Amino acid sequence: MNLDLNMSPMKIRITVTIIMALVLVNKSFSQDLLDILEFETSQETQFIPATFNMTRIAIGHSTEVRSKGILEVFVANRFWNLPLERSQSFIADRMSSRLALEYAISDNLTFGAGSTTFDGLFDAHLKYRIPTKSGSSNVLPFRVTLFQNFSYNSSPIANQGIADDFSDRTAFTSQILLSKKVSKDFSLQIAPTYVNKKLGLQDNDSTNFFAFGVGGRYKIGSHLSIVSEYYHTFNPVESFNTYNPFAIGANWELGDIMLQFMLTNAVNMVEDTFITQTRNNFNFRNPNLNFGFNATYVFHFKNKLKEK
Amino acid sequence: MIRVLAIFFLIAGSTNLVEVDEKVIARQGKVSFFSYTSVEDIKAENNQVLSVIDLDQKKIAVSMLMNAFIFEKALMREHFNESYLESDIYPKAVFEGEIIDFDRTITGEQTRIIKGVFAMHGKSKELEIKSKIEKKDNKYIVSGVFETLVKDYDINIPPLLAGNIAKSISVEFRFEYEPYED
Repeated sequence: MNLDLNMSPMKIRITVTIIMALVLVNKSFSQDLLDILEFETSQETQFIPATFNMTRIAIGHSTEVRSKGILEVFVANRFWNLPLERSQSFIADRMSSRLALEYAISDNLTFGAGSTTFDGLFDAHLKYRIPTKSGSSNVLPFRVTLFQNFSYNSSPIANQGIADDFSDRTAFTSQILLSKKVSKDFSLQIAPTYVNKKLGLQDNDSTNFFAFGVGGRYKIGSHLSIVSEYYHTFNPVESFNTYNPFAIGANWELGDIMLQFMLTNAVNMVEDTFITQTRNNFNFRNPNLNFGFNATYVFHFKNKLKEK
Repeated sequence: MIRVLAIFFLIAGSTNLVEVDEKVIARQGKVSFFSYTSVEDIKAENNQVLSVIDLDQKKIAVSMLMNAFIFEKALMREHFNESYLESDIYPKAVFEGEIIDFDRTITGEQTRIIKGVFAMHGKSKELEIKSKIEKKDNKYIVSGVFETLVKDYDINIPPLLAGNIAKSISVEFRFEYEPYED
């Protein structure tokens, strides 16, 4: 054996470095158990976090839909006072209620129907959320839900000059709801809207309306959030004055019961009417100010644990 | 001399590489929890729980994603993640512990205490869990039941719903392990 014992300092340094590196590599192989679990964790859980907890932000629909087999009983009320000096009404001078049932046919499609007491509107809607998979690469940066509403106005119309055949009493609303969970607490929604509504006071009134809605939610507690919504109509009706509906409120979810409280200038509760025919602007005078109260009760008709 | 040393270290190092602790892994472990009150029964299940056991060091680790729990009622899953466990901030629950007096050579059943720390919702809690460990061929099955208190994990329950959620939650688990290769 002919070992060269006179190694230069440089060589020694290289040798030491190699040894050190080997020892380090060896160390990294006896890795921590939690590191193994971290490495093995897959992100595919198919869970879509809620952007809005409720199917409505305040007055209008949110991008949220319910899972298959859920029935929601939805009761909405609006209370307002007449502009009288004195009134002897109990609680409020006027009130309107809308009762609706909404059933989730699939995880993305909901059908709902309801009727309102004050304006005699019967309405039905279909709401479809475009599926997005959580955790995979083809996730859209925002949530998209398509909304189609149909309504029939059953109220008697005294004015003989207004055509009120069945087709004149119907209205259609189409919306593309786009929402984004900006942060853990803050969600934002925009809603380009098209409304086809007849029953104009004059023949030259437009029957096609284009509107744009903006809504937001800010969570102030684990079960409580502040919400606001606004719709702007680009071509309002000309034969009478209309204003853009605005709402500000609080949403409170309590398990199977969800409550919404709001202040708004929109008396009507069906999309076509409150978007295009809100006759008062938002202020704190009577009868402009409406107090709104929505209650939703959720029934589950499907046990998710028995799915497999 | 240094070169001899280097060669020695190389050999020592490489043999050491082979002698990595033997580990087993469970990729589809099952964890379920129950809350029984007079108002409501809540049941949830997670079938994608990960767990590793280091057989030589008798160490065990468990990791689960909170949003993988499936509930009887679909809306509960949403509320569980959004309002109670805040799974966007604390996505995982992790357990790390030791199987006391674990003997890997025993085939069949042995009942052992697993002692360790369970971390969930930003809080850690020391747990001692009595578990049944079965060995069949190369496979190990670890299962058991234990109770844990909701208040230990800083979970905010609104007073109106306090009657719906039990103070003590019963947790059941079952993991089937197979050999793990790095």
